[in-house]
Amino acid sequence: MRPSFDTVSTAIITLTAVLFLSICSATAQKKTTLRIATWLGAEEIRIEEKILAEFTAENPGIEVEIESIPNKYKEKILTSFAAGTAPDVFVLDSPIIPALLNKDVLLDLKPYVEENRLNLDDYFPNVLRIFEKGEKLFAFPKDYTPLMLYYNKRLFDESGIPYPEEGWKWNDYLDTARKLTRDTDGDGKTDQWGTLFRNQFYLWEPWVWMTGGDYLDPDGKTAKGFFNSPETEKALQFLVDLREKHRVSPSVQSMTTSGGAVELFFSGRIAMSISGHWRWASLLKFIESGEMDIGIVHLPYPEDGERVNIIFATGWCVPKNARYPELSLKLASFLGSRRAAEIRIEHPIGIPGRIEIAQDLIEKDIYGVEELFINETQYGRQPWGTIIDEYRRIEQIYQLAVEKVMIGGEDIHEACTDAAESVDLVLKRTAKYSNVIIDLKGNREIVSFLAGSALFLGILILTAVLLVKGRERSMMIKGYTFLAPSMIILLVFIFVPVIFSFFLSFHHWNVVSSTKPFIGLENYRDLFKDNMFWSALKNTVIYSLHVPIGMAISLCIALLLNRRIKGGSLFRTLFFLPSISSFVAVALVWKLIYNSQFGLANYILEFIGLNGIRWLEDPKTAMISVMILSIWMGIGYQMVIFVAGLKNIPKEFYEAARTDGASAWAQFRHITFPLLMPTTFFILVTSLIGSFQVFSLIYIMTEGGPLQTTDVAVYHIYKNAWEYLQMGYASAMSWVLFFIIMIITWLQFRFLGKEVEYN
Amino acid sequence: MANRGRLTDMIVKALIYLMLTILALSMLIPFLWMVSTSFMNELEVYSYPPKLLPEKFLWQNYREALTLLPFNKYFLNSIIVTLLSVIGQVFTCSMAAYAFSRLKWKGRDRVFAVYLSTMMIPVIVTLIPSFLIINTFGWMNTYYALVTPTLTSVWGIFLLRQFFQSIPSTYEDAARIDGASEFTIYWRIIMPLSKPALATLSIFTFMATWKDFLWPLIVTNNNNMRTVEIGIAQFHSVHSTQWPYQMAAAVVVMIPIIVIFFFAQKYFIRGITLSGIKG
Repeated sequence: MRPSFDTVSTAIITLTAVLFLSICSATAQKKTTLRIATWLGAEEIRIEEKILAEFTAENPGIEVEIESIPNKYKEKILTSFAAGTAPDVFVLDSPIIPALLNKDVLLDLKPYVEENRLNLDDYFPNVLRIFEKGEKLFAFPKDYTPLMLYYNKRLFDESGIPYPEEGWKWNDYLDTARKLTRDTDGDGKTDQWGTLFRNQFYLWEPWVWMTGGDYLDPDGKTAKGFFNSPETEKALQFLVDLREKHRVSPSVQSMTTSGGAVELFFSGRIAMSISGHWRWASLLKFIESGEMDIGIVHLPYPEDGERVNIIFATGWCVPKNARYPELSLKLASFLGSRRAAEIRIEHPIGIPGRIEIAQDLIEKDIYGVEELFINETQYGRQPWGTIIDEYRRIEQIYQLAVEKVMIGGEDIHEACTDAAESVDLVLKRTAKYSNVIIDLKGNREIVSFLAGSALFLGILILTAVLLVKGRERSMMIKGYTFLAPSMIILLVFIFVPVIFSFFLSFHHWNVVSSTKPFIGLENYRDLFKDNMFWSALKNTVIYSLHVPIGMAISLCIALLLNRRIKGGSLFRTLFFLPSISSFVAVALVWKLIYNSQFGLANYILEFIGLNGIRWLEDPKTAMISVMILSIWMGIGYQMVIFVAGLKNIPKEFYEAARTDGASAWAQFRHITFPLLMPTTFFILVTSLIGSFQVFSLIYIMTEGGPLQTTDVAVYHIYKNAWEYLQMGYASAMSWVLFFIIMIITWLQFRFLGKEVEYN
Repeated sequence: MANRGRLTDMIVKALIYLMLTILALSMLIPFLWMVSTSFMNELEVYSYPPKLLPEKFLWQNYREALTLLPFNKYFLNSIIVTLLSVIGQVFTCSMAAYAFSRLKWKGRDRVFAVYLSTMMIPVIVTLIPSFLIINTFGWMNTYYALVTPTLTSVWGIFLLRQFFQSIPSTYEDAARIDGASEFTIYWRIIMPLSKPALATLSIFTFMATWKDFLWPLIVTNNNNMRTVEIGIAQFHSVHSTQWPYQMAAAVVVMIPIIVIFFFAQKYFIRGITLSGIKG
């Protein structure tokens, strides 16, 4: 007895009704609800909830909802701005400060400060300055951190080396690192390093200031003469040499955020590592339990240079179009208040922005570490990332320059001059759009797109139906009737957004604002000059070569599993596991496998007498490594569909063939392969489309590096859309990609997509 | 002669098993890493080279991970959204696929090309317009926002179209002669014959919706409406990740998919049998 259509549809209607009722009951509330957004994680957010409990106790008419968005925080905030529904109060920090401060989309807090006689001198001036723009103030500081050097005391003790001291210099640092770089197990390979140089702009930003160099002129208008100055190059050379010349730093994947760097320090493979206060917060429990013994010291500075540091700060801000500006301001100021800071130092991620509470923190701290952090504040400079709009793009260019010197062996002056020139071009382009009027009313034109598309489609179908007659017409009506449910949903959620992106490709749009100046074909013109985009496209094509190889492997496995072998369902489940497992876990495990120092892949190679490979770190092998991983990950998906396709082939055909005495190969050649063609074709088309849109894998594994050899098209589009806020330009690139995929798909349909015929 | 044949047969079989096993084991590694990490203390996770097993199995990681956040709510939401999405896709995709494969009408292949082409624009540029539409409808923080866009998929339509194409037309010809309506043919003949394909579609839909992260994150603002995948991500903060908790949650969240997969296997194995229907 199979369920009839009626029982199923009744079930759906009931379910929908239940849903509807539950939604209705949820919306019945009277209090004013304020929304807060933070990137704090599940545990960190508890302290903020405690602070909010005090706020709501004092203000009974207000309810506060706090949202934890540790992942994709920027995307979430920016989309909410695009829709005109930004949270009432949210945390502002480095990656989005310029995007919001410079575009004047936040409420100026100064009038509120004056009205309520708040004393801004309570905050560290260096920290407050980050949220100031001219006479205006855009956030109440929450906390901040300079960068410090963390050292593992145990490793120092083992080698009998004195701990670094206040006032130490670059030479002392290098000397210490040299002495701590050792081969502890005597196998001829270094397995403990003095320090770690990671090619992350935020980590090396202050080092260049120490030698008197800089990234841009003081007005942020030009890079030439600054990034390629002898001072800047001296600092960068020193850092690169740590790894390439003195070999006191392992070569973890340089561009990716965590290519094992944290693991190496936590497990005592690296003696000294640079980080902010957040690292102390995550180390503290291990220090308290005695599992680790860690010391902290300021960054060393050059013998003939200056002691400089950097300040990364977070603060509470209110959007200009807040629904309840008064209440939101009250809440933001409470979150930045003395009381809130007092509660926060119970478990501080950063140092409180309030001077007095920072003093309390020093008194509370039994390790004498907080004092060192706070003492560093006076040397703290404001990061460029909080000043100029195009910081994300500039950061990428500078990181690439360092990578060219470090991995590509390029001359430092040449690399820096090239980078400075690219940055100047970027700055010129930004200047063009600097006076775009910002408007926060939300992007309403989507409604007309929706109505227009629905109307257009309706007319189109109606005309098509009216143009044909008789039986043809009735067939067409039948066809569209069967299509109706999917068409309505696709229209609203896919066609319209796709058409909107086409519209965007002729505009300049920074996401936050609802104004989008029309710029004609400019995005497309720029794109043809954008070498990085074309090389990303080329990389995408190379990457896609993994599809046919993977399919051949999957087909073999599917054929094997299709025979009645024991444990078939177990194997199928195992092969499917990578598709089910957490993607982050899969990526991490593969990063460990590919690790050139400790990885399983090199272990096996060395075991069979071959030389180890620097898999993801070597520009020559990085793409191949990613492709191997993709094949491995795709087997589950392809195998499942192949198996289903094989099951769809009527058994009678095989029975007939067997009675005719056909060999296994002949059966495959004449029955399986041709009858499986629709399935094979489906997998090929969808896998290629998917492969041309590869993104997450690159984002997590390589971030496009090394030397941009794995920078693929959609990753490039993502960066333009979400990091550089060039949504129009990103849309134009998407349409170029669209046409390429379309041609490839069309070719496949033309040559492979024939319907099966049963003979 | 017969003996030798059996021997080579056995060797071939043994080799096949060996290869399958090696590959399958490699597929097991990330999963084992997840499970083993979920029982470790935080410092053990950072051992380098990595540790295979925790020194002590910390079962409390599971308790704490699942109570630190309202995972019961997340689970409820994920189940509702996923089930509706699977039911929706089985219907909408099969109907569309029927129109694209078993019916012959003018302009059919052109319409299909348009359908297919929508798969070719990357999601990261259509995310904002989709969100703007949801916002226009006033659907923020509702099941509508979570469910409606997942009720159909071009991928699913294409998948079923390919399967429907490979069903011999002899079945429906017979039904047509008997005067069956188009809907009857779709519902009574094509659908039952496509169980393996429908099971495949259900599994992938289940998985995609269950594991979706970005869309649920963008269209919801509070814990009442969030799904399991967002819950998992909350253990991963900007400056530190609580691997044991995150992996404990991830393992629990994976269980439903494994169960569904095992359950749906029955249909994979069954396949089409011609007997019973006149060819």
